[in-house]
Amino acid sequence: MSAMSGEAEADPPAQGRQVPDRIRVVVADDHPMWRDAVARDLADAGFEVVATADDGRAALARTRATVPDVLVLDLNLPALSGPEVCSALAAAGVDTRILILSASGDQQDVLDAVKAGALGYLVKSARREEFVAAVHATAAGEPVFTAGLAGLVLGEFRRPRSGNGADDRVIPELTDRETEVLKYVATGMGYKEIAGLLFLSHRTVQNHVQNIFGKLHLRNRVELARFALERGLDLADPAS
Amino acid sequence: MTTTSLTSTTALDDHVVVRGLWRGVDVYRCLALVYAVYTVWHRRDEIAMPVVAVVVLALLTAWTVAQTVRPMRTVRAYAVELVIACVAILMTRVIDDEAVITAGAKTIPSIWPAAAVIGIAILLGWRGGLVAAAIVTICIFLEVGTPTGNTITNSVFVFLLGGCIGYCVDLARASHAALTEAMRRDAARAERDRLARTVHDGVLQTLSYIHRRAGDLGGEAASLGAMAGEQERILRTLVSQHDLDVVDRAVAGDADLRAALRHIEGEQVQLVAPAAPIMLPRRVSDEMVAAVEAALDNVRKHAGESARTWVLLDADGKDVSVTIRDSGQGLPEGRLEEAETEGRLGVSSSIKGRLQDLGGTARISSGPSGGTTVELRLPAGAP
Repeated sequence: MSAMSGEAEADPPAQGRQVPDRIRVVVADDHPMWRDAVARDLADAGFEVVATADDGRAALARTRATVPDVLVLDLNLPALSGPEVCSALAAAGVDTRILILSASGDQQDVLDAVKAGALGYLVKSARREEFVAAVHATAAGEPVFTAGLAGLVLGEFRRPRSGNGADDRVIPELTDRETEVLKYVATGMGYKEIAGLLFLSHRTVQNHVQNIFGKLHLRNRVELARFALERGLDLADPAS
Repeated sequence: MTTTSLTSTTALDDHVVVRGLWRGVDVYRCLALVYAVYTVWHRRDEIAMPVVAVVVLALLTAWTVAQTVRPMRTVRAYAVELVIACVAILMTRVIDDEAVITAGAKTIPSIWPAAAVIGIAILLGWRGGLVAAAIVTICIFLEVGTPTGNTITNSVFVFLLGGCIGYCVDLARASHAALTEAMRRDAARAERDRLARTVHDGVLQTLSYIHRRAGDLGGEAASLGAMAGEQERILRTLVSQHDLDVVDRAVAGDADLRAALRHIEGEQVQLVAPAAPIMLPRRVSDEMVAAVEAALDNVRKHAGESARTWVLLDADGKDVSVTIRDSGQGLPEGRLEEAETEGRLGVSSSIKGRLQDLGGTARISSGPSGGTTVELRLPAGAP
């Protein structure tokens, strides 16, 4: 629980992306002690903290107003919970990347947040270097994939699907290779190790991981749309 | 239920149904006395010994007044009332002529004895009600000598009264107890949730803060931080097990493998599991836990102090699998092969044996980076 497993993400940010000189970050946490410590760590590490928020509604409003590169989001916020903030940002089409930072052990909440679009999850007790590396990775669009999170995502894809296929869109499944990669991440392997084991390049493993996240988000949207359809709700699919 | 009523000297029964019944008994007793006096007055001409009749009625009146002014709702008081009722019934034989009784005259207490039967039914449930009814019926039959149609009808009514009211009281008490228990559990759950929130908002945040800051400082502080981290993890597990139903189900039969393996988590061991429960029959889950523990023991012995271990639980619909992988760091060169041939095979056979007994398989392999992977696989629906 206490550490990132994929040490490989500690790489510096990807080169190709149009990274501005300073990565802009919003920090949302209802504990002043934590909020300040996180903001200070980020500032020390060269990030620009453009805003902080102490509840979910403020987090949503300030993220929409400033459109930072990364939102560091506590899972258990008053007013709006972490997963709700993620959904609302996705619905509003804000392309800020979200890193969940939480002391919570509630796995369902973590999974909900990631399904709703968060790019990664880190426990609050993670070391500062791990945290800084995770924010870099998130800014670069790299999922921050811990073993614990991989287990949750794997479980999500194992879950029997509801509905009878009345929808024309198919709920995406993982390929065998993706499942294999996911299981390796879930047993604590870094991308380099997995690449070595499967005779793949590091980049290919990263692609697999990104595809897994893409499918997870797509799956979530399809299920939401189906849910709305079954209930006869007149809901436009917010993400498509 | 009966035993509790027996032991409580004053029936401080909170239940609203029982309280209502007691009030009914008090009112009924007074009305029955009025009726008894009226019937005796009505047939005063055929009574052979009016003085004795008045004495009996006076006794009934005294008791009725006493029970109305200061009700005693105890088994002893109602036993006394039952005795008074029976004596009054039997005294009718002395007071009336044989011919009058055989002609179907009412007893002196008339319907008054029913109050005693109802009271005992309230106190002792349907069994007590029937016993009291039986005693009253015996007295009625003794008094009549040769039973008439009325005698039989009356005794049926007395039995119905004792049995039905007793049964109703039993039901009311049982449902009251169930309701109380449900409310207690609700309160316990709410309190636990409240505690969990408090702990989460305060203690956990502080512990993880200490853990993190101390880690940054390094040295002596880092080990203090690790201690804080360990406590944080334990506390988080404790307060997250808030669903009492999961505990109940675990006691009842099937067990959630995630919960059954929660204790293995530690600074060096991470449990990786889906968000949904993995239910297995209790016996199977116990065996799986034992196999995982054996594998972890093995890691502790052979993979070195600094080795980390991940335990992945996966249920893909066909199989339930548990993968135990250690990082194998800190292992000296060649030690791996040595361990393979010596210790690990012994342990591995015990792990394999357990899985075979369950109808599953165990595969042990060593990875390229020095760690060992144990994969336990159990087909769904295995015994």
